[in-house]
Amino acid sequence: MVENRPLLTFFSHLALIVGISFIALPVWLAFVVSTQEASALFAGQVPLWPGEHFIENYSSILFEGEKNSGAPPILLMITNSLVMAVCVAVGKITISIISAYAIVYFQFPFRQAIFWMIFMTLMLPVEVRILPTFEVIAQLGMLNSYAGLTIPLIASATATFLFRQFYMTIPDEMIEAARMDGAGPIRFFVDILLPLSRTNIAALFVILFIFGWNQYLWPLLVTTDASYYTVVMGIQRMMAVPDSDPIWHYVMATAILGMIPPVIVVVTMQKLFVKGLIETEK
Amino acid sequence: MSTVTLKDLKKTYANGFQAIHGIDMEIRDGEFIVIVGPSGCGKSTLLRMIAGLETITDGELMIDDRRVNQVEPGKRDIAMVFQNYALYPHMSVYDNMAYGLKIRKKSKEEIEQLVNKAADILEIGALLDRKPSQLSGGQRQRVAMGRAIVRDPKVFLFDEPLSNLDAKLRVQMRIEIRKLQRALKTTAIYVTHDQVEAMTLADRLIVMNGGLPEQIGSPMELYDRPSTTFVAGFIGSPAMNFIPIQVDKKDATLPSGQKLNFSAPSGHAQLLLGIRPEDIEITTPELADLTLKVSVIEPLGADSLIYGSCEGMKEDLVVRVRDKALVQEEEIFSVRFNQQKLHYFDPKTNSRLP
Amino acid sequence: MQKQVRFDNKVLPYLLVAPQVLITIIFFIWPASQSVYQSFLVEDPFGLSSEFVWFANFEELFADSTYLDSFGRTLLFSFSTAFLAISMALFLAIMADRVIRGETLYKTFLIWPYAVAPALAGVLWFLMFNPTIGVIGFGLNALGYEWNHYLNGWQAMVLVIVASAWKQISYNFIFFLAGLQSIPKPLIEAAAIDGAGPAHRFRTIIFPLLSPTTFFLLVVNLVYAFFETFPVIHATTQGGPAKATEILVYKVFNDGFIGLDLGGSAAQSVILMIIVSGLTVFQFKYVEKKVTY
Repeated sequence: MVENRPLLTFFSHLALIVGISFIALPVWLAFVVSTQEASALFAGQVPLWPGEHFIENYSSILFEGEKNSGAPPILLMITNSLVMAVCVAVGKITISIISAYAIVYFQFPFRQAIFWMIFMTLMLPVEVRILPTFEVIAQLGMLNSYAGLTIPLIASATATFLFRQFYMTIPDEMIEAARMDGAGPIRFFVDILLPLSRTNIAALFVILFIFGWNQYLWPLLVTTDASYYTVVMGIQRMMAVPDSDPIWHYVMATAILGMIPPVIVVVTMQKLFVKGLIETEK
Repeated sequence: MSTVTLKDLKKTYANGFQAIHGIDMEIRDGEFIVIVGPSGCGKSTLLRMIAGLETITDGELMIDDRRVNQVEPGKRDIAMVFQNYALYPHMSVYDNMAYGLKIRKKSKEEIEQLVNKAADILEIGALLDRKPSQLSGGQRQRVAMGRAIVRDPKVFLFDEPLSNLDAKLRVQMRIEIRKLQRALKTTAIYVTHDQVEAMTLADRLIVMNGGLPEQIGSPMELYDRPSTTFVAGFIGSPAMNFIPIQVDKKDATLPSGQKLNFSAPSGHAQLLLGIRPEDIEITTPELADLTLKVSVIEPLGADSLIYGSCEGMKEDLVVRVRDKALVQEEEIFSVRFNQQKLHYFDPKTNSRLP
Repeated sequence: MQKQVRFDNKVLPYLLVAPQVLITIIFFIWPASQSVYQSFLVEDPFGLSSEFVWFANFEELFADSTYLDSFGRTLLFSFSTAFLAISMALFLAIMADRVIRGETLYKTFLIWPYAVAPALAGVLWFLMFNPTIGVIGFGLNALGYEWNHYLNGWQAMVLVIVASAWKQISYNFIFFLAGLQSIPKPLIEAAAIDGAGPAHRFRTIIFPLLSPTTFFLLVVNLVYAFFETFPVIHATTQGGPAKATEILVYKVFNDGFIGLDLGGSAAQSVILMIIVSGLTVFQFKYVEKKVTY
């Protein structure tokens, strides 16, 4: 800042630390609870420091699951989440990067119409077309399958727009030089456009991985078979045990495990993540 | 090493705008052709039509004896140097130069040999592992040239390749391009808006205006016998002076009523007299063709430009003199025109009178 | 929109857009048009026949007080969530922009909640507010304030608002910080030389320059609260107690998927579609996104 006001700077640091603590508190307490034994979680006890059952609780939930609610081992759910997140991210990037290529670099009938059709997907989140979409999936026999979990989600207006935007910034001479060098449309795409899009692809992957991992309603609709549950939706099955409190230490262990992979992705790829987030909103 | 033939080449855009109105030309093997003109004259469009980057609406384009109107740019066996170089930013200098060869399925050894040879010629051998972003403007320019020569094409195309360089580098690269083309003896077509570049590089140059070639010829032909006022004004710096005159029989009169003491061609009541600044000399009042009043003196070092106003003329007459001490600002002075270097134009058609 | 220099190819562009177009038609356009179609139908109780009834479903919906209540509740929920998330994020971004030491570290510690799924955010706060073992819930009870979101609708609402806002703070923080950092330094320095103190500068220079960002975030946060908070509610309160947290997206799911009221649910879907379309168009047309990073 412009002037040196130690008090103000001190206050800023203080405010940030308080803010961070407030934001981190729920996760800390969830972790604390996840390391307790069941008897420590009766009414009137609010543990603030981790217990001694970390390994026991986590290994039990990871490899055996919570038997009361019929949830499968969390490791399986995490695998499902991982498959879904990676497939959704890769799928979205793939079909968006090629459709943006067609829209920007080719002239063909219905180009405009196709562009607007892709745009319309922005206005049709799953929440507003639950039933008919479910019927389509059911008719296509895609319930309880990885295909059903991922394919319907991979249309992406945002990713298409991002790549379109990026292509527009590439000078026209690049395609002209490539044509003079004898490159056709496919070579140009593979040799020039794809390598130039690397950073954008990586940034988008971070965003879309999180998007895929955090899907909730969609896996809720298309999976009835517990072996296809993802962590984020599976936890709901553990929360909603009729007429009894959730088994807190298991639920919280699941919550912690369910947020670790995407949080690691965001923190380790912070720069790409921020870039991806801001670029996709342009 | 090839000829390029343009037969009534035309270009009309989808919106109806006609960019090129029909050009006929034979470009000889090994010739250096410069297309020059103001922006929007169609010079770049013409080059891009030859390159295959713009479709040809009408007419014929032949490279050697092959009609290439419909041939993809990559298959015309031509190479192009772009204004902003268009180097692939993610590839090293080596890969930039090798890319076209790879697509043509040359062997690794052959590619290496060709790239190294081209790099030697352009003295960029030390830069082969660098990325374009690590190069200076002049180095990028060389790499862009390297990418063109490495393929040993039939024709080089240059699209204002020097306009992104600073003045000093521009002169240096201009000379190098000329030497390189002489050495390689490859037919070259070069587009520029800079008439100095055009004059110094060209074997023949095409002055374009409004989608039409105004004149085609060697630089000195165009300089000495410009066929239109446009060419006369475009070639040469500072530009040729134009003086509107009235002709009655053989007497020529200036707008001010001042009489010129030499005779003009008859047959036209109105004429445009053209005279270059270096063909006017300061003289004594007795020998004067015209009397002027100094408005500005621009010393250029070797010589000076004197802007002189004359009653009845809108624009100042420019006179180039070796010795600026001959006159002072605001002074009245007399000038004399070199009778051998007078140009006459028809003010209606703007074309040269013989 | 498109390059001037293009490839000429009759088939390739169609092959390139085909996957995107097919998925869009099968899973987006077709189901959505089915929703629209069904919103004009009434099925008999056994699902055997249906009758075309024009706007009867919509009329019924707007005459239904539970729907209107849900509408109002959604507005309250959305604006509260957006306000909370935006104001917290703005405050933290200003602080983070002020400090020179440790900025990156603070940033890292502030952005990770973006990665936490809304459902998990709901679960975390569900624990925090639990009347018997949650720090806040138990603490409030211990202090004599009766807290039980299982029974008290307003308290349940507070729970889902806090959980939803908590997750969104990171997102807003990133945009505010980017916005703050894109304000030219000389501008701030000029104001300081003119004698404006930090608070005054914020009011007269920084905040006005941030207003496009703020406006943009308001729209994005409203869309988030309207549509993406379904998991928060479904995983925690399930719309209860007594529909106190039943916002529109939850209701459309509940009525259609659980209650199997096809026409009514389809009509609700159509209304939601109109809302999200309106917000999207608004966002694209009017919201300036002059955020550079």
